[in-house]
Amino acid sequence: MAKSAKKIGRYKILGELGRGAMGVVYKAEDPNLDRIVALKTINLEKDTEGRAEYQKRFMLEAKAAGKLNHPNIVTTFDFGETDGVAYLAMELLEGTDLRKRVQQGSIPPIEAVEIACQIAEGLAYAHHRGIVHRDIKPGNIMLPERGPAKIMDFGLARMRLADHKTSTGIVLGTPRYMSPEQISGQPVDHRSDIFSLGIVVWEMLTGRRLFSGTEMAQVSHSITYDEHEPPTRVNPELPAMLDFVVARALKKDPAVRYQDADEMAADLHTCLAELRASEEGADAPGEGSKTVKLGDSGEPTVGAPPASAIATDTRLPVSRHFDSTVALKRLAKSQRTGRPARPVGFLRRIAYDTLPRRLFVVTALAAAAGSLIAFI
Amino acid sequence: MPASIVASVVFLKIQDFARRPATEQARLRAQLQAVVAVTAAEIPPAGRVMLDAADGAAIVVLDDPRAALRLAERALNAVAVGLPLSAGLNHGALQLAGRKGGEGMTGDGIAVAAAIAAFAGASRVLVSRSFRDAVAEARPGAEAPLASAGTFTDPGLRTHEVFTPNERALARRSRRYGFVGLVLVVVLVGAGVTMRSANPRQQPFVDAMIEKTVPYWRSLVRRVSY
Repeated sequence: MAKSAKKIGRYKILGELGRGAMGVVYKAEDPNLDRIVALKTINLEKDTEGRAEYQKRFMLEAKAAGKLNHPNIVTTFDFGETDGVAYLAMELLEGTDLRKRVQQGSIPPIEAVEIACQIAEGLAYAHHRGIVHRDIKPGNIMLPERGPAKIMDFGLARMRLADHKTSTGIVLGTPRYMSPEQISGQPVDHRSDIFSLGIVVWEMLTGRRLFSGTEMAQVSHSITYDEHEPPTRVNPELPAMLDFVVARALKKDPAVRYQDADEMAADLHTCLAELRASEEGADAPGEGSKTVKLGDSGEPTVGAPPASAIATDTRLPVSRHFDSTVALKRLAKSQRTGRPARPVGFLRRIAYDTLPRRLFVVTALAAAAGSLIAFI
Repeated sequence: MPASIVASVVFLKIQDFARRPATEQARLRAQLQAVVAVTAAEIPPAGRVMLDAADGAAIVVLDDPRAALRLAERALNAVAVGLPLSAGLNHGALQLAGRKGGEGMTGDGIAVAAAIAAFAGASRVLVSRSFRDAVAEARPGAEAPLASAGTFTDPGLRTHEVFTPNERALARRSRRYGFVGLVLVVVLVGAGVTMRSANPRQQPFVDAMIEKTVPYWRSLVRRVSY
């Protein structure tokens, strides 16, 4: 139905941009604002039984997505419903999506980490507003010709709920990029998006699929039980620090994963800074810089003893891989820094430690009550 | 004269480093540096000195021992990427050693942290008594999750009491304080009741309370009414 339409709502259809499971994406013109938009349609006809619920959810999700205004999220301008077709009018971007880019092979580390940073920042913004994407995958990450990477289809995964309304363990999203809790149908939160982003980062760095399988059960088993291979084992050229970030994002247990996308973005920014410093091949000047010479990173440390041979008078050399000059200058200037720990006094303990404070208050009250009973 | 420093030391040791082939050693060292780069990022550059060891790395944290503990715990996550680390933490005396361009550090702070790291098994964080005290001094109560993990004797035949982060220790401490509070309440209130009942001339408690408080309430009501 939508296919043959020349106009959807007030939007004039100019051409078809693509087709997906949920509907068609058109290039359309908004005559009111004389603006070209991407119009995403979602067919409602198939689902007559739960249509009212579906429409309600669509309106809620679209409204929530419409409030997201961030450089790393595709902006939703408008949404509505006409003739059994729900539609979203979104920012039209010239460029390609990350899926096509990854299909051509691995992405250079700096570019991959840069994209990952941008996506993590976009996710952090949405998560702070209580919106979980649920379907982070390369196909939902747009790489415009100019400007930063952008996340598409916020909240759309949830709109597919109506398609599965009779099942109890409802699964939303694209299986290969789901978190273990999502694929097992458990409730998901923002940490599920972090797992999916971890998969995307792994695939960008290696150019391979992380959880592949021809059947859903296979993919599900891999996501739930298989440990990923560190990216540096697949591509030894990669810096080892990325292993660490990817491993933390891909923890099976959400409680030990990155707890928010901001934290992951911060680690990715550190990686990016180090990658850039190593590419420039120079020690970053200025106070406060921290440089890892990645090219030398695997070399043995000359003159440094092993842990078992370190005695009180054994000298450990300052690492050449990190810049400690600021701290060394500080130490050289001051004659004395720090002091041995002293026992914590009673008053300080009562003031800062909650449990002793509570015990103190309860004891004082009990003593007062005891005195009252004894002497009144 | 070299500066006298008392600071926290995090010693990250790669387990069984010497027994591994050279290529594996190179890979592990690269991974360790990456882990240190990421985990130490939260500590300002003026607050930490990075030191090299043959089978690990030592990070001297100058200001906040709690930051040192967080660093160690985060670094231990790297076990998931095939980096078998253990961490030893100590708070002790250090000295700058060496000339400009070849600086280094020595001291008991490093030696004890290294000995503890060598003693700790893979993916384990152990801290010394002095480190636990330093955490407590920085913020009383912050040392509560560090539960006793026994003692060990280092190669210099010194015995160290060691502690390990354990979330259950918090619940245990909470229960212990709850129990002590309950006992104190029972004892103090019970003592009051016993003293009262031991004196036969005293009025019953409820009667005495009514007698003492009713006039007060009456006068209050009167004052408010006018």
